[in-house]
Amino acid sequence: MRAAGWSARSLALAVMVGAGWGCDRARSLDPARGPAPEPVTFNRHIAPIVFHDCAPCHRPGEAGPFSLLSYADVRQRAEEVARVTAARYMPPWPPEPGYGEFAGQRRLTDEQVALIQRWVSEGAVEGGGAMLPPRPQFGEGWQLGPPDLVLTMPQPFTVPAEGTDVFRNFVLSVPVSGARYVRAMELRPGDKKVVHHANVLLDRTASARRLDARDPEPGFGGMDVELESESFEPDSHFLFWKPGTAAVTEPEGMAWRLDGGTDVVLNMHLQPSGKAEMIQPTVGLYFTDTPPTRHPMLVQLEHDEAIDIAPGQKDFVVTDHYELPVDVEVLGVYPHAHYLGKQVEAFATLPDGTRKGLIRINDWDFNWQAVYRCLRPVPLPKGTTIQMRITYDNSADNVRNPSQPPRRVRAGNRSSDEMGHLWIQVLPREAGDRWLLQEAAMRRRLEKSPGDFVAHANLGAALEARGRPQEAVGHYREALRRRPQSAAVLNNLGAVLQSADQLDEALEIYRAAVRAEPDHVSARYNLGNALAAKGAFGEAVPHFREVVRLRADDLMARNNLGAALVAAGRSEEAIPHLRRVLAADPGSLNAHYNLGRALALRGDLAGAAAHFEQAVRIDPGDALSLKSLRETRDRLRKAN
Amino acid sequence: MRWALSGLLVAVAAAGPPGRATPVRLALIDLDGRRANPLETPGVPFTVFVFTRTDCPISNRYAPELSRLHERFARAGVAFWLVYADPAEPVEAIRRHLEEYGYPFGALRDPQHNLVRMTQARVTPEAAVFVAGPSGTPEVNPGVPLRSRSQRDRGAGPRLVYTGRIDDRYVSFGRTRAAPTTHDLERVLEALLAGGAVAPRTTPAIGCFIPPLQ
Repeated sequence: MRAAGWSARSLALAVMVGAGWGCDRARSLDPARGPAPEPVTFNRHIAPIVFHDCAPCHRPGEAGPFSLLSYADVRQRAEEVARVTAARYMPPWPPEPGYGEFAGQRRLTDEQVALIQRWVSEGAVEGGGAMLPPRPQFGEGWQLGPPDLVLTMPQPFTVPAEGTDVFRNFVLSVPVSGARYVRAMELRPGDKKVVHHANVLLDRTASARRLDARDPEPGFGGMDVELESESFEPDSHFLFWKPGTAAVTEPEGMAWRLDGGTDVVLNMHLQPSGKAEMIQPTVGLYFTDTPPTRHPMLVQLEHDEAIDIAPGQKDFVVTDHYELPVDVEVLGVYPHAHYLGKQVEAFATLPDGTRKGLIRINDWDFNWQAVYRCLRPVPLPKGTTIQMRITYDNSADNVRNPSQPPRRVRAGNRSSDEMGHLWIQVLPREAGDRWLLQEAAMRRRLEKSPGDFVAHANLGAALEARGRPQEAVGHYREALRRRPQSAAVLNNLGAVLQSADQLDEALEIYRAAVRAEPDHVSARYNLGNALAAKGAFGEAVPHFREVVRLRADDLMARNNLGAALVAAGRSEEAIPHLRRVLAADPGSLNAHYNLGRALALRGDLAGAAAHFEQAVRIDPGDALSLKSLRETRDRLRKAN
Repeated sequence: MRWALSGLLVAVAAAGPPGRATPVRLALIDLDGRRANPLETPGVPFTVFVFTRTDCPISNRYAPELSRLHERFARAGVAFWLVYADPAEPVEAIRRHLEEYGYPFGALRDPQHNLVRMTQARVTPEAAVFVAGPSGTPEVNPGVPLRSRSQRDRGAGPRLVYTGRIDDRYVSFGRTRAAPTTHDLERVLEALLAGGAVAPRTTPAIGCFIPPLQ
């Protein structure tokens, strides 16, 4: 039986750093060398900076509006290059130095900025060709070669020519069956001149699909998306695209799981370019057969309930803290605020009192938000407190303020609302530690928001996973007091009760879940299984049928449908389903066994024996298959 | 302060023989390579030049706003011209650019930076508004002349009354408002059409630098 482990985490954004990964090249210019004594030339001094820090985006087909690949390119823009680098507008790299070290850093050193100034003031000289470093090479097409699977948005979306920025979410279905492990992902967003950044989320509950259906245009609006999530995987990975991002390759042992029936949701920030632009993003996925051995987790710091910023307020502060219940390594951080955000800071206070900066952005700019992946994992021992501090400016002086004149602002998904989130990707020593991290996070959330639905629901799931079903039931019931119709929580509660052999009560709860949400696949499946466990096979059949109607590639549900039909004496109906399971997964022990039984009931003893043999070949110790094979062979012998 | 009156005096003096009240001599060329000076077109009281380039995301983002301004003011006698000042931009790319962004008005090139010097424009997009001299449109109040050095020139030729941004949406590099709070170019045109005296003024324009001639 499939475990009904579920965690109703409110996932604002599941994200991942792309930028940096693989960009960790050594600085071409050694600042220790000091300012160059000889005249500054392009070939010797400027080209290494430009090729490393500008060219990745400033080249044909990329987000930069013009190319910076040669002396002529840069000479022509020399004054502009000097201005924007001095202003630190380019290359865009908001984190302050000294507060965490990140992969793919594109911050110029003060020496580099000064060198560019000098070069321009001295007349932007080219210099001797011998000093020119090789022109940077960038691969064409998919960066990691042809992907194993390409997802394409079914319909293009037209970004209007003008107006405010567009925040749009697109749902891409994933045509895989069973589970695959993704080792790398590349997003090709379409026209990079209009796509400012994109978060990739995974939706197992079809909730994004329902939002999409309500919106006549492709996709649906919203700056942030909340999705129900049934497990940590793969929400514990940052899947994020920004200009200059190549493929997002996961570290060794950290592939993420992608299940059939999951939808990939692209949460995109689009900027009108002056003419209508059609985009049709594609996502390339690269699989591996190796399941993950290291299991990270995303911990969220936030205090959205505290966000209530009066118009004109210039220094509104939101803080949160979280105490680590286990040792972890920090792998990356993703701060998120909207247009009023001014300064973002996160730091860790270790048990011995040492303070470690995790990130600091002094001039927060929503447009350049990004996931920052640590250059090296940052070890933090149990008992460390992680603190977040975000300040907001809701005055008219904040030119980015979307409301002029300013108005009262609270937390929300629209660009005129605010948020203050800090996601930290941590890697505990063991996968099981994630439940301790989750429990601590949800207990903290209850401190901030007593009675919070999500906190109770998730705490229930964490306690259930930690083998404390009685406490889990208590928190599920608390969550249901807030939202009695939550199919997901009802389903979880049913699963705990069923595990505790309270089958009748579990059945009633599952029924309530299916009433609340008839398309809730997991609740249907569990209801079918619970009925089958009661011996009510005929009653179980329609529920399994509903699951395979909603998810044609759910092989477990189809197998169970076959099994229930066989048990209900309806072998003829069962056979096509079981054959379909075996066509997709010839190694399914259960389907071979069930099909063997169905064929035996029909009188096809030879066919039945063949499938029992297959089952025994798959698991030579499977007692049921061995017994059935013996009996079928006996009957065959007698018949002959 | 990057736009001083003295700079304009020099530019104008260079453009026409000193002491003669002739219209400003512009050496712009059209997309077919012919010399063009829209300021000499009779019967056009106001002319707006907007510096642009094919690959500047900031000026491109203003294409719909410029179309709207054109629609509002063209019938009232305002001529609109895009000016491509980078001699390296091929004419074909310019034609494609006009087509793609659906500009409802014409384009000229300024490969010698004649208009760039005259207006002291620095970036794209940057607008320059000229008022025709009395010979062109006697019924229009000529506004305040810029060439204050010589009263003889008052009202003689086209006068530059505005250079600067289209609106204040872009505040500086990396600082952008969700929507503009001041529509500078539109206000200038409204004032001109209302017939009041328009004091010459400049505003800081944010955009892509116009590269100096090599």
